[in-house]
Amino acid sequence: MARVMVSEFLKIRRKMILFLILLGPMGVIGLEAVNFGVRYDWLTGVYKDDLWRGLIGEVSMLSILTILIGLTILTSMIATIEHQTNAWKQLLALPISKTQVFTGKALLTVLLLFVSCLLLAIGTIVLGLLLKFGTDIPFLYLIEMCFFPYLASLPFIAVQTWLAITMKNQAVPLMIGIVGAIVSMYSMNFPDWVPWKWPLLLNDWDMPVYSVLAGLAIGILLYFIGLLDFNRRDVK
Amino acid sequence: MSNFIIETNKLTKKFGSSKVVNNVNLQVKKGEIYGFLGPNGAGKTTSIRMLLGLARPTNGSVQIFGKDIKKERLSILKKVGSLVEYPSYYGHLTAYENLEAARLLLGATKPRIDEVLAIVRLTKDAKRPVKGFSLGMKQRLGIATALLGNPELLILDEPTNGLDPSGIIEIRELIKSMPKEHGITILISSHLLSEIDQMATQVGIITKGQMIFQDSILKLRAQSTSKIKLTVNDAEAAWKSLLTHGYRTDFNQNKLFIENGSDDNVAEIVKSLVQNNYSIYRVEEERKSLEEIFLELTGLEGGL
Repeated sequence: MARVMVSEFLKIRRKMILFLILLGPMGVIGLEAVNFGVRYDWLTGVYKDDLWRGLIGEVSMLSILTILIGLTILTSMIATIEHQTNAWKQLLALPISKTQVFTGKALLTVLLLFVSCLLLAIGTIVLGLLLKFGTDIPFLYLIEMCFFPYLASLPFIAVQTWLAITMKNQAVPLMIGIVGAIVSMYSMNFPDWVPWKWPLLLNDWDMPVYSVLAGLAIGILLYFIGLLDFNRRDVK
Repeated sequence: MSNFIIETNKLTKKFGSSKVVNNVNLQVKKGEIYGFLGPNGAGKTTSIRMLLGLARPTNGSVQIFGKDIKKERLSILKKVGSLVEYPSYYGHLTAYENLEAARLLLGATKPRIDEVLAIVRLTKDAKRPVKGFSLGMKQRLGIATALLGNPELLILDEPTNGLDPSGIIEIRELIKSMPKEHGITILISSHLLSEIDQMATQVGIITKGQMIFQDSILKLRAQSTSKIKLTVNDAEAAWKSLLTHGYRTDFNQNKLFIENGSDDNVAEIVKSLVQNNYSIYRVEEERKSLEEIFLELTGLEGGL
């Protein structure tokens, strides 16, 4: 599996994918910099009890939409590398199982998105320091708010990976992913079982970790369903 | 254990209700260049996909190196190099990176990349992105990828498609040298008989999903019976004269034809004509070309 991943990372060279991984967190931090720059006095007034929590909260609001749209574009770009010259037939005629191919693609998205979230956390710290919020950084809360929405989004990574790989026309997975991201923005009042609500980390128990656990469980389940379907299909 | 490298048993693939491949029993012996021949849409590519485990047979089985592809796909594919239809490549990567991506999965050594690049003469262009390559170069890169894992069996689907004549000759020479130099068995598909005729030792002809001929190329050539064509001044009179002397010929389009005549037989007919004062302009042998046999076997409409 390690060889598969090295090969996958080789294939995304010169594909703007790594640029996208940077662009996501930079965009969020950039927008927040503008937000706090323009309304500094008002926002520091609103969050005067805990400036850091205020900043992290604002960042995570924006990051959820970015994560959902980002994973849609990522999975699509990764699958397109193989779709373009129909490299699936060559790839799967190599001594590698279909499970490894599918897992490689899904894992690549998971890893790249993890890097994005890590950059987001670092960017938030840098922005907070530049805004002179002091050095009393609530690290635990920061990590929660940067990585929990990502983990709660695993079901979407699984579904989008499957859609992008099984459909040659990427318009469909892109549309589904983007519509899903927008739905997610308005899902505060949805019942707790709706997956689009999970990245917001809101639930009746006020326990963000429940949303994460649901995301992990359903994500892994959907990954296996997608994998079963991919294994069953003939290679085009 | 059979001594066939590839052996299929009643291989069948249905798409909907139509049988694209129907009860095909393909048999390829070690060290052969097996020409897999058929008109477009006859089921060649579908058969090859099933050989590689890319498509699942509806019925029947595939054995490669005596192992079932369904059960031991990965260990079989380690020793098989393939090029299916048009070449697949990653356009944004260089030729070298393309081979590296495959090498990682094959577990071949790094120096092997330079070796295969040298074999297909792409060493100079190794550092260029593949999207700028000509079709011939992409095809050669595909063959390089197929050779990367030191395969014992090469499966090439239409490897000379879209190549210019010099490219075709180059690839043909490359393919012909493989069994001799490396003991590789090759299955090569084509819709052009002339192509197969110049390379293959065994031929399988498939049309409408069914295998209609499978034997050595020599057997196929033997089917091309020859006729002797005589052009004389007054063909009809000459034909009648020959008949009265007891020689059977066919009279057609103002020419005389001798079917399956021995050399002596031909000589006697000529002698008889000369003695009866007919002018003989030409004595020619007419051999049915392999193309014609192929068209006869596959049916005209399939050849169009």
